[in-house]
Amino acid sequence: MKLVIDENRCKGCNLCTQVCPYRIFSPGARANRKGILVPVLDRPERCTNCRLQALYGRTLCGVCQLTCPDQAIGWVSERPYEPVRIEVEY
Amino acid sequence: MTFTDWLRADRLPHIWCSGCSNGTILNCTLAAVEAEGWDRDRTVFVSGIGCSSRAPGYVATDSLHTTHGRALAFATGVKLAEPSLNVVVFTGDGDLAAIGGNHFIHACRRNVDMTVVCMNNLIYGMTGGQGSPTTPLGALSTTTPYGASEPAFDLVALAVAAGANHVARWTAYHVKELEKAVKTGLETPGLSFIEVRAGCPTNYGRKNRIREVTDMADHFRTRSMLKTKYDRLVAEGKPVPADAIVVGEFVRRANPAMGVAP
Amino acid sequence: MTRIEFMQGNAASAEGALAAGCRFFGGYPITPSTEVAELMARKMPKLGGVFVQMEDEIASIAAVIGAAWTGKKAMTATSGPGFSLMLENIGFAIMTETPLVIVNVQRGGPSTGQPTMSAQGDMLQCRFGSHGDMAILALAPDSVQEMYDLTVKAFNLAERFRCPAFLMADEIIGHMRERIDVPDRVEVVDRKPFVPGRLPFEADDDRVPGFPTFGQGHHTHVTGLTHDARGYPVTTDPAMHDALVRRLVGKVEDARREIADYRVTNPDAEVVFICYGAPARTVRQLVADRPDDGIGVLRLRLVWPFPEHALAEFPNARAFVVPEQNLGQIAREVERHVRVPVIPVSKLGGELHTPDELARVYEEVRAR
Repeated sequence: MKLVIDENRCKGCNLCTQVCPYRIFSPGARANRKGILVPVLDRPERCTNCRLQALYGRTLCGVCQLTCPDQAIGWVSERPYEPVRIEVEY
Repeated sequence: MTFTDWLRADRLPHIWCSGCSNGTILNCTLAAVEAEGWDRDRTVFVSGIGCSSRAPGYVATDSLHTTHGRALAFATGVKLAEPSLNVVVFTGDGDLAAIGGNHFIHACRRNVDMTVVCMNNLIYGMTGGQGSPTTPLGALSTTTPYGASEPAFDLVALAVAAGANHVARWTAYHVKELEKAVKTGLETPGLSFIEVRAGCPTNYGRKNRIREVTDMADHFRTRSMLKTKYDRLVAEGKPVPADAIVVGEFVRRANPAMGVAP
Repeated sequence: MTRIEFMQGNAASAEGALAAGCRFFGGYPITPSTEVAELMARKMPKLGGVFVQMEDEIASIAAVIGAAWTGKKAMTATSGPGFSLMLENIGFAIMTETPLVIVNVQRGGPSTGQPTMSAQGDMLQCRFGSHGDMAILALAPDSVQEMYDLTVKAFNLAERFRCPAFLMADEIIGHMRERIDVPDRVEVVDRKPFVPGRLPFEADDDRVPGFPTFGQGHHTHVTGLTHDARGYPVTTDPAMHDALVRRLVGKVEDARREIADYRVTNPDAEVVFICYGAPARTVRQLVADRPDDGIGVLRLRLVWPFPEHALAEFPNARAFVVPEQNLGQIAREVERHVRVPVIPVSKLGGELHTPDELARVYEEVRAR
C-alpha cells in the first residue's frame, strides 16, 4: 500500500507535513491546475499503515488521514511488481 | 469500513477554507462513530448555522441542518421522539454559546442522550470573523478591532455545571485523543459535550499572529495542558499560564438521562 | 358513533390532535393556550407519545420539527408572543417541507398586550410573518366542536401538503366550554411515503415529495438552505431558488379551490358578512335575530389560502362587512378581490362584537 493525496480535494494547508512521524509529506512547490501547492510525497509506501495494515487488519497510525481537513489523504494498494521489458531499437 | 465510508463523496471538496480544523474534527467524529459500530441508517447528525454546522451535509446519513443556535432543540425533538436513533450534534461557539446558549444549558440539564461536538474556533468564521462569546480577552476580530473587551465563556465549565454526563476538551491537533473522547461520548448515556479548539486560519489566525495553518497547530500543541497537570499546578498553588488550553476529560458520571434507548 | 361531552376549547383541540394521531407535543406555557399543553402532558404518555416542555417557544417548534422528521405527527400550542418567537423556524419548516401543527390561541397584542383577552391580530402574521415568500395553511374555529374538528383537519392538511398548518383560535373559543360531539374515530391522512430510488425532494405532479423518514436508510440531508432535489444546498443558482420557492408556494396556493372550507348563508343577499373565529358567533346571532332580512354570511373555516372564489357565491353583494377582533386584517384581503365596498368592523380590547353593534352597521350599510 502507499499513501496518496487526492489533488481534487487537497487545499494545500500542509498540516500533513507537520504530523507525519515518517516525514513522508513535504510542502509542494508547484501549483496544480487549481492553483494549489499540493504536498509532495517522499517514498509514500514507508508509513506504518502502508506496511502493516494487511497484517493487523486495521488502520495503524493514520494521523495524517485523521488530520487532513480536506479528506484528501488515503491509501491505495500498489500493483505487484512487474518486470518491464524494454526494447531498444538500433 | 473506515470513517471515509461515512462521507458523502459526491459533495467533496467541502466549503471550508484551507487549513480549517472543521474537516479534522469531522474526521475524528466519524472515526469514533465508525469505531463504535453505529449503523449509518440509524444515525442522525444535527447542526445549526455557521461553518461548523455545514458538517452534517458531508455525512452520508440522515442529517438535519437547522436554524442558527437551535441545533440542540431540534436534536432533542429527534432523540425524544425516536430514542432508538443515534444523535450527534455539530455546533460552533457562536451557534452554541451565543444565540443557542439557552438551549445548550437546557440540553445539558435534560441530559438528553446525544453527543455534542463543538468546533470552537473563537470567532464567527462564516460571516467573516466577528468576535464570539469565546473570543479571548484582547483577541482581535472585525468587531473587536481594539481587542476583545468582554470576558469569554468557559464552555466546558458551563456544560459541567448544567449537568452533562460527559464533558471533555481537546484541540484539533489531538486527533487520536479527540477520537477517543468522542467515542467515550457516544458510549455514555446522557448528554456528552466535547469542546474542540479549532483553528480558523482565515479569520482568527490572520488577525492574531497565527498566520500559517501549521502555526495554528503549533499553537495548540504548545498551549495545551493536560487536566491532570493543571489540577496538580492548582493544588500546589503554582501559576498556570493565562493562555493554557486545559485538555482532557472533565467529567464522566451517570446522572439520570433522557431519551436513552431502552 | 359519537360521545357527547362538555369540554373546554383548548382541551378539545388537544383531544382532536390525539385523535388525528399526534404523538409528540413540545410546548411552553403561555396564556391563553396552556391548557392544550396541560392536557397533552396528562394524556400523551398513556398513548405512548412524547410530551416535552421546552425552554422557550423557539425550542418548542424546533423540537416539533425534529420529531416530525422521525415520522411522528407533532404539534405545539402557543399564543401571540410565543408565536412571534416561532416565526423563524416556521420558515424552516416551510423550506424543509415538514408537516406540523401549531395551535395559536390569539390574545391581545402587540407585545404582552392582553394575555387573558381575545384577539385575532395574528391573522396576517401567520400568513406573512416568517421571512421570504411562502404559503401556509390556517384554520379558524368558531366553536369548541370546531376546535376539535379543525385540529384534526389541520393535521390532515399539514400531512398532505407537507407544510405547517395553523389552528388560529382565539381566547374566547379556547377558554369557552361547550357541548361537543366527540366522534369515535376521525378520518386521518398520512404523509405520502418516500419511494426508494427517487430523490428525497423530488416532487410529484402535486408538487409534494414523498417523506423520507429519518432512520429508514434514506440518508436524507435536510437543510433550510435553498436545495436541489437531492436536498443538497445550492445557494447561488437563481433558477433553482426560483423553482423551489414557486413550488413550495404553489403546492398550497394552487389547491385553494379544492381545499376551500367555508359556509355560505343566503347567497342572494345584498349585504354580506364575512367572518371567522369568535365574531362568527355574533353574526350567527344577528342572522337569527333578523330572519326576514336574508343577511348573507360567508364564514371561513380555512382562512389561508384565502378562498377568493367564495366571494363570487354572492352575485348580488353590494357590500361586504367584515367583523374582526383586529384592525381589518382579513378585510384587507377581501378588498383585493372585490369591487364593492368592504367595511371592516374592528373591535379591539378582547370583547366580542355585540349583535346590536353589528345590527347598527348592517342598517347603515343597507341604507346606502
